[in-house]
Amino acid sequence: MHEAAIALNLIEAVGDRLAPEALARVAVIHVRIGELSGVSADALEFAFRCLTAHSPLAAARLDFEPVPLAQVCDACGRGSPVRDLVFRCPACGSERTRITGGRELEVRSLELAEEGEAVHA
Amino acid sequence: MHEVDVRAGLLEPNAAVARENRALLATRGVYAANLMSAPGSGKTSLLEHVIPALESRHRVGVVEGDMTGRADADRLEGFGVPVHQVNTGAACHLDARMVHHALHDLADAGCDVVLIENVGNLVCPAEFDLGEDDAVMLLSVAEGSDKPKKYPLMFRRASLVIVNKLDLLDRTDFDLAAAVAAMRDVHPGVGILTVSCRTGEGIEEIAAWLEARIAAKGAGPRAAAGTGVRG
Repeated sequence: MHEAAIALNLIEAVGDRLAPEALARVAVIHVRIGELSGVSADALEFAFRCLTAHSPLAAARLDFEPVPLAQVCDACGRGSPVRDLVFRCPACGSERTRITGGRELEVRSLELAEEGEAVHA
Repeated sequence: MHEVDVRAGLLEPNAAVARENRALLATRGVYAANLMSAPGSGKTSLLEHVIPALESRHRVGVVEGDMTGRADADRLEGFGVPVHQVNTGAACHLDARMVHHALHDLADAGCDVVLIENVGNLVCPAEFDLGEDDAVMLLSVAEGSDKPKKYPLMFRRASLVIVNKLDLLDRTDFDLAAAVAAMRDVHPGVGILTVSCRTGEGIEEIAAWLEARIAAKGAGPRAAAGTGVRG
């Protein structure tokens, strides 16, 4: 349950990118969450709602893009999905694989309403 | 409506401090291990065995992470090593900022080995890099052998998994072979050692593992005395 800390970082990341007067125009925040990021989208959403109530971001919606676990094999060079948390190359059986997806935890982008355009939660 | 590109990592604020911690440890010739496990797996008991095994050759310091109180710190201060208590309050894990001053203080106190006992929790601490050299995790036999695939991030991050309470093996349904196989699925190449803090069996091997890691980093009394520079 450290999603509150993550939500604070998320709010800060948005604040770093926009001028204060633009915050109320944020309609959607696109967030990528890897399968192995250790973060629950529901808990992050809940923390974000609590922390942004009565703030300019109160109407902003979080959009989560889940990123499945993927690996690439250093022995044969092939990429593959990681199934059942087995980090091994399904093609050649090598254990020398690296994670290429599934560790993400980032704000990817924002959707901003034009000036004068209303944002609804 | 228009789109604004951001691409900001949500753990980056912690990662930035972790990099500072790592640089501090490197400059001062200090080796640090981040000890993580569920509550009650035996982290403090392990430290009670490992500290005496290392202290003839090293100046060991401890960072004790707990939500409240200093019960563990009091236990370890009896060993005559500097202990830095960090209370996280409501937080379920240590983060890089919380240990930053403790690492400074322990380096100033001449420690060349710092053992960080994280808050008991298999979930959140896994996500927060402290700048340590090794993440070491404890899994006790009493917890069950199904944990590696329930808490994959922790097992993935650990350089070494220590299976503790081995003396309880024949009193539980813990399947050691299955647990080891699951650990190797999640993290091929992970170090795995078994120990009983109750009987002391396996402590030597853990001390040897740490000694090898300390030596590999070039930390230790020689480095601390300024004679560790290789020509």
